[in-house]
Amino acid sequence: MMFTAYDISTSGLVAQRARLDAIASNLANISTTRNERGEAEVYRPKYVTFSTDPTKQTRAGGIGVTVASVESSTEPPVMRYQPDHPDADKQTGMVAMPAVDMTTEFVDALEATRAYEANIGVMEITKDLGRQTLQIIV
Amino acid sequence: MLDPFASSTLPVLEQVVQFTQARHGVLAGNLANLNTPDYKARDLSVDAFQSNLRTAIESSRKSRSPGDAVVLGPLADGSGEGLMTIDSGNEPLAVDPFDGVRRSMETFVYHDGRDVSLESQVTEISKNQSLHNLAITLMSQQFRQMRSAISETVA
Repeated sequence: MMFTAYDISTSGLVAQRARLDAIASNLANISTTRNERGEAEVYRPKYVTFSTDPTKQTRAGGIGVTVASVESSTEPPVMRYQPDHPDADKQTGMVAMPAVDMTTEFVDALEATRAYEANIGVMEITKDLGRQTLQIIV
Repeated sequence: MLDPFASSTLPVLEQVVQFTQARHGVLAGNLANLNTPDYKARDLSVDAFQSNLRTAIESSRKSRSPGDAVVLGPLADGSGEGLMTIDSGNEPLAVDPFDGVRRSMETFVYHDGRDVSLESQVTEISKNQSLHNLAITLMSQQFRQMRSAISETVA
C-alpha cells in the first residue's frame, strides 16, 4: 500500500523532532547546576537513540523508525573555578557545569534538520507518484 | 425509469467522498487543538469504513439479478440515503461511515495529557486528501464517459 511510505516518512519526522527536542534541552540547560527540586545536581546532556519500528513495515523491506530511549550522557561534568557561586564546592571553590559542547549540539541540530527535510522530500515524491498514477485515467 | 447512475460506481465513490470529508473535519479539529491540555486526538477508522463499504457492495451484488440495479434509498434510521437494490424491498444496504469507526489515535501522551503529534496529524490529512482526490478523479472520469455517450463525441 502506498500509504505505508507516508507512515515511514512520518516516523522519521517524529524521530528527528524528538532529537531536536533533546538538543534544545541540552542548549537551554548549558549552565544548569541544579535539578528540578532545587538541589545541587549538574545537568546531564540528553541523547535520543533510535531503533527500527516493525509496526511500520512494508513487504518490500521498508521499515519505520521509533525513539528507543532518551539517555543521559555519562561524560563527567566540566569543573570550573568560581568560589562565589552558590553551588561551588566549599573547599575547592569548583562548580560542576554541564558537559554540553555547543559545537557538537549545533552540528547535531543541523543534521537533524537535514534529515527532517529529507523525510519531507520523500513524502513529496510519494505524493507526486500518486498524482501521476491518477493522471493515467484522466 | 432507469437510473443512469445505478450501474456505475458513483454511489460507492460518493460514500468515499462523504467519508473523507467527514474525516477531514475530524483531523482539522485535532490540529486546531494541538495545544489544548487533556485533548485526545479523534479519528474515523478508514479500515472500518472500507470493510463496511465492502460488505454493502458485496451484499448488493448478491441480491442483484440481471437488469436489476442498485439505487440510493432512505436508510432505516432515517439519517440519510444508502445503497439498496430495487428488488430487496425496503431492506437498505446502508453504508454508514460512522458505524463503529470512531477511535482514538494511539499515539503517545504528553505530560499535560495531550496526545496530538503535529507530524502524524498532517500525514493523516495528506493521506485522506489522496483518497479524496482518487474518488473525485474516478467520479469526474465517469461523468466524462457519460457526456461522451450523450453527445456521441469523444471529449
